[in-house]
Amino acid sequence: MFLKRLALQHYRNYAHVDIAIDHNVNIFVGPNAQGKTNLLEAIFVLALTKSHRTHQDKELLDWNGGETVLHAELERRYGTCTLDLSLSAKGKKAKINGLEQKKLSNFIGTMNVVMFAPEDLEIVKGNPGVRRRFLDMEIGQVHPGYLYELSQYQKILQQRNNLLKQIPGRGGVDLDMLGVWNEQLAQHGVKIMKKRQSFIKKLQTWAEHIHAGITAGGETLRIDYAPSLPLSDEPEEAVLFDQFMIKLSQVKDQELRRGMTLVGPHRDDLLFYINGKEAHVYGSQGQQRTTALSLKLAEIELIREEVGEYPLLLLDDVLSELDEHRQTQLIQTFQSKVQTFITTTGIESVHLDRLEGASVFQVRQGHVTGKD
Amino acid sequence: MFYPEPISRLIDAFSRLPGVGPKTAGRLAFHVLRMKEDDVLDFAKALVNVKRGLHYCSVCCNITDIDPCRICQDKSRDRSVICVVQEPKDLVAMERTKEFQGYYHVLHGAISPMEGIGPDQIHIPELLKRLSDESVQELILATNPNVEGEATAMYLSRLVKGFGLKVTRIAHGLPVGGDLEYADEVTLTKALEGRREL
Repeated sequence: MFLKRLALQHYRNYAHVDIAIDHNVNIFVGPNAQGKTNLLEAIFVLALTKSHRTHQDKELLDWNGGETVLHAELERRYGTCTLDLSLSAKGKKAKINGLEQKKLSNFIGTMNVVMFAPEDLEIVKGNPGVRRRFLDMEIGQVHPGYLYELSQYQKILQQRNNLLKQIPGRGGVDLDMLGVWNEQLAQHGVKIMKKRQSFIKKLQTWAEHIHAGITAGGETLRIDYAPSLPLSDEPEEAVLFDQFMIKLSQVKDQELRRGMTLVGPHRDDLLFYINGKEAHVYGSQGQQRTTALSLKLAEIELIREEVGEYPLLLLDDVLSELDEHRQTQLIQTFQSKVQTFITTTGIESVHLDRLEGASVFQVRQGHVTGKD
Repeated sequence: MFYPEPISRLIDAFSRLPGVGPKTAGRLAFHVLRMKEDDVLDFAKALVNVKRGLHYCSVCCNITDIDPCRICQDKSRDRSVICVVQEPKDLVAMERTKEFQGYYHVLHGAISPMEGIGPDQIHIPELLKRLSDESVQELILATNPNVEGEATAMYLSRLVKGFGLKVTRIAHGLPVGGDLEYADEVTLTKALEGRREL
């Protein structure tokens, strides 16, 4: 897909900006704190209706007030469409081709994006929660049903944890009640685990290939799903359900003592191995960054597989952190097929000579000026 | 408060109702001021009666002004089936179908540990008593298709295992008369899971 126009009104530090885009590679250049990332964020918000940086939607509104409207013109395989998203203290309104969408979920996924920002290093370095969030965001972007299962699971988990906390206090153990929540937890948990397993498997295939390319065959990347209970390859849902229930009965005493649920997808993790060694323990800063990059590029391919078109790639201030070889690899990967938006403080840090037909935009204090 | 005491008390009373903020409460209170005295008296009586005149049916736990309630007194209904619902509103919805001829049991809630609602806080003991006394053969679980309703249904089905009953759960899936293409993904997935052989 190709973004032809981006117009923002009263968005963060932008009073009004209208950018016509006609190249595959677009670079936003400017000093710090001018609003470069805000532009990428706006594209991200148009795709997913929420920001990658904050959970607080009100942060997106204009600092000086006024109605916030984001507008995009997108060229897809089957023709062009326009996206409008207006944000206010009351909520969000989304329109596709001028038609208001009653459900935001209908709007999400019209435009697909993959964002790579400095904080994505946390996917490799950070705690398991960051990796689960990554999984959920990505699977949710292509499988709408997944987010529903996930929200059901979270509710059941909360209820069950509450029950586990009450039981010791009441004296008697209501095992019938716990059994009911076990069954519900396992029912939904199993579905989430299966979705995650198949997603990670596909991700692994692509990431391994891409990682080998970026490192010129020097490194092998392996991604492993580390669920909280052992998982065989492509298990039957019923079999997995039984295993889940058995595991729950095994940890019952421990759970009652600690008052929390110890088994389930909420304790899943992803493990990255570079040449057989765990990346978040033994990997260098550079290796960890390359791993994160491989993941993001793999995601691009995955989205293409699922929706039949390449998503937009948003690179927030990450190009300059890669060495020249990796930059070349990256640029070669996307140049012809993936429309890319890059922010950087200085054009020198990006090797522009390899970019044919790139647009450069200067970003200064909420104003964007084009320059070819 | 700037209003005389009676009116500010009335505003305060209105603002305790769900969905009514201080401004609406004020508007309602001043409307009452303009109403005819008879109408106000009727209104007040209706309010008091709903509290004094209504209680739970000793059989099915539905709200009623006579005991047992009209449905439980109706001898023409099918004694062998009890349909379990969460709220009196759900019972009314089921009645509107005119298809269900059995009796009901109203739980007044669903199991939710987060809100401190366990089996004893909703009317499950009363249901068990009915099952051991009566000639019931089937229990239809018509609690809501959400996490709490599902848990309640599952709990009940385990609880009544010893009674040798047929226990059924209402189906969920596509709305009737709609087009398949307008169904959301989740509903459609559920409908697919619940498909049956023809």
